[in-house]
Amino acid sequence: MPAVELIGVTKRFGEVIAVDRLDLAVDDGEFFSLLGPSGCGKTTTLRLIAGFEFPTAGSVRIHGREVGLEPPNRRPVNTVFQSYALFPHMTVAENVAFGLEMRRLPSAEIAERVRKALDMVQLAHRADARPSQLSGGQQQRVALARALVCEPEVLLLDEPLGALDLKLRQAMQVELKDLQERVGITFVYVTHDQQEALTMSDRIGVMNEGRLLQVGRPEDIYERPTSRFVADFIGDINLLEGRRVDSETVELVGGHKIRVLGDPSSSHVTVAVRPERLELMSDSDRPPDRLNRLPGRVIRRTYLGDVIGYRVDCGGVVVEVKEENRSGLVVRQVGDDVLVVWEPEAGGIVVD
Amino acid sequence: MERLLAANAWAVFAFFYLPILVLIVLSFNENRNVNIWTGFSTRWYGEILDNADVLRALRNSLVVAGVSTVCSTALGTAAALAVERFRFRGRRLFDGLLYLPIIIPDVTMAVMMLLFFVQALDLVNGLLGTRLNLGLATISLSHIAFNISFVAVVVRARLGQLDPAIEEAAADLYAGRWQVFRRVTLPLILPGVLGGALLALTLSLDDVVITSFVSGPGSTTLPVYVFGLVRRGVTPLINAVSTVMLLGSMLLVGLSLMVQRRPATLGGGNR
Amino acid sequence: MGDASPEAAAAKAEAMRGFLISLPSYLYLVLFFAVPFVIVLVYSFASRSSTGRTVLGDWNLVSYKRLFDPLVAQIAFRSLWLALATTLLCLVVAYPFAYFIATRTPRVRNALLILVMIPFWSNFLVRTYAWRVLLGSDGPVSQITQVLGLGETRLLFTVWAILIGLVYGFLPFMVLPLYAAIERMDWSLVEAARDLYASGWTAFRKVTWPLTTPGVIAGSILVFIPALGAYVTPAILGGARTVLLGDYIVDQFLAARNWPYGSALSVALMTVMLFATFVYFRAGGRNL
Repeated sequence: MPAVELIGVTKRFGEVIAVDRLDLAVDDGEFFSLLGPSGCGKTTTLRLIAGFEFPTAGSVRIHGREVGLEPPNRRPVNTVFQSYALFPHMTVAENVAFGLEMRRLPSAEIAERVRKALDMVQLAHRADARPSQLSGGQQQRVALARALVCEPEVLLLDEPLGALDLKLRQAMQVELKDLQERVGITFVYVTHDQQEALTMSDRIGVMNEGRLLQVGRPEDIYERPTSRFVADFIGDINLLEGRRVDSETVELVGGHKIRVLGDPSSSHVTVAVRPERLELMSDSDRPPDRLNRLPGRVIRRTYLGDVIGYRVDCGGVVVEVKEENRSGLVVRQVGDDVLVVWEPEAGGIVVD
Repeated sequence: MERLLAANAWAVFAFFYLPILVLIVLSFNENRNVNIWTGFSTRWYGEILDNADVLRALRNSLVVAGVSTVCSTALGTAAALAVERFRFRGRRLFDGLLYLPIIIPDVTMAVMMLLFFVQALDLVNGLLGTRLNLGLATISLSHIAFNISFVAVVVRARLGQLDPAIEEAAADLYAGRWQVFRRVTLPLILPGVLGGALLALTLSLDDVVITSFVSGPGSTTLPVYVFGLVRRGVTPLINAVSTVMLLGSMLLVGLSLMVQRRPATLGGGNR
Repeated sequence: MGDASPEAAAAKAEAMRGFLISLPSYLYLVLFFAVPFVIVLVYSFASRSSTGRTVLGDWNLVSYKRLFDPLVAQIAFRSLWLALATTLLCLVVAYPFAYFIATRTPRVRNALLILVMIPFWSNFLVRTYAWRVLLGSDGPVSQITQVLGLGETRLLFTVWAILIGLVYGFLPFMVLPLYAAIERMDWSLVEAARDLYASGWTAFRKVTWPLTTPGVIAGSILVFIPALGAYVTPAILGGARTVLLGDYIVDQFLAARNWPYGSALSVALMTVMLFATFVYFRAGGRNL
């Protein structure tokens, strides 16, 4: 039974449709991320699960129980807010104890669980501090402890790392993932940061304009995007426009023919291929025939340290190429004639 | 430029404080003629204590201010919560109605209250055969009518600064509506509520016009009584009473500063 | 919209809750504000018997016609220019004052703010009375001018005394919103203007002033409205020949016993006030 299940959920605010007929099932114990640009409906979806919003239509279930119209305090989920939303008038320990107090647990048990929760996030020594006396990272941990101490069936996280600086964010990503595996609670994580989603998630759902476009493991989403939006939103990608010739051949705008896997269904085709899957060769390198090739000329080179990026004009199509900066790499100059080469499997067909 | 700004600032402070200081100094003048200084004395303060009229007026003022502050703080806080946190039919009308008593001048408010209570007392006395008259009750009711709005404005400002996620977090942590209010919302807006209450108290203790319209025999408040004396001329007794009233005001300033100094931030401050 | 979805039912329940919370104060304001307003409106059309009793029933426009009396025009004009002069004087003095406070270090700023708060919270009647003491015929100001050989000051019971009293009374109402507006301004914008070759004066005129106009408007409204309806100040510092709208209206109730006429005057004054605030809100200000 899925931990969270949304069936045909729509949320309208007046004339605006924030979430549009969304179907989603999050498995028990899974780290699931909702990824999308701001305003795509991901936060609204999270708030529908938390109970801060009620669906206009559709069903919200937690472990099979319908909760769509239950207020937040009657749902077995807890939330870590983007702003942390710690109670400024309470100490760290009082913040963490709040949920347990509201559930009227015996005070001895509350004290014990608060202590354990603070140990878990390594903040036992700040139990009597006020939230305003803590650093951003520490506040974040208190918010996490406050939610986890209630042992929710599902933990909802709304861009919890958004306010932290890069280094701390990366450290917290690893820590969060570890924590999730340790406690075994289902996490639903909302973010607009694709790197974050790829790093931590078991599965990712990509949203845009209120719709769920693709759900899959990080590698599925990255390697095999099914739509132009997903392909474009996650990482850098070349989108090559063309015309279907036969079940495995596409003729690009410039007239070059390339091979693709998977029969393009319509006559107009967009082929998506990651820059790091492309390679630059010279004519003299004689690439094997099964590889796709586009002759072109380097028009820009960007040095990124670990990677060298090229922009190559292939007559009608401009492609971006990223080559790993390994020893023995032939570095091209602007103006060099090159062959852009890739395996047909590396290119996927996406729909608009 | 900087020099000019500073000079202007000190001139303004002198303008603010010199008249008050002169008044305070003259209240300790022993002479019956205010303007001829003959020596330091506290005799006029002693006379306040012997003056039954002043003491009764003072007692009336405190009763009216106390009652109207408590009532208007409760009503105004609820009003602020309703407009700031809910959407309901008639909200805009209510919002407008809430602003009007602040905008309208004292004199017109006084006229409204007088005519209303004359009609209302007629009606009530006719229906119930009672002989109710203008007095402390009508003064208190009038003060509540304008104080609700001032309390609501102050509390709304505080509510507006409160990160809504904090209340959501409480609900998320299994607090019911009432618990969210009692454990989270109320403690966090308390400085606003107390600030509103102090403003209401000050306005009530300040009011002359409205009170003089709706007061009956024996229900004169201290400002109205002093106002009556002042119109007849300057006396050392008024100077002393005025100094006492100023002292009361200072006490309220101190209290309101203490209230606003509470270090509780309102969340969302870590971005 | 308008569908009977469970969400709509929940939203309805929530709206009901909000309405119920507003209800006590809502009812209070309707009973003790809206109803009195209507009664004043009704009274303004009533007539007055020869003994000074108000007769409800014989509805007429007599009271409103009297508003066009030259005497009323004179009083209204005097009130209006005094209110405008008060507002302008307060603005001219308070703007640089608020600017000075807002540009101090936080510690100094807080200390100075407290010094502004004290007169703001101090009893208005007492503060006005202080000027009666100061300006009296042998009061301190007069004594000083006599010592200086300038002769007696005869300011009390003139419009000038009223003007001083009004400025003194309402100056804090101007300072605080101006301070709030200047303090909250983003100073990097002024620096940006200076960086883009604006002189100090031009930067003020093109950046600081436009950014602080909400404070200017709020302060002006907060001074103008009570100044126009002032009663205590003219009653204490003014004389028989300096009647203003405020004491004129009060006279109709406490002395002349012409309630319908007093009501009509009140309605007219309220209309002016509501119009002024309407303009204020249209101008974009929102915080009182």
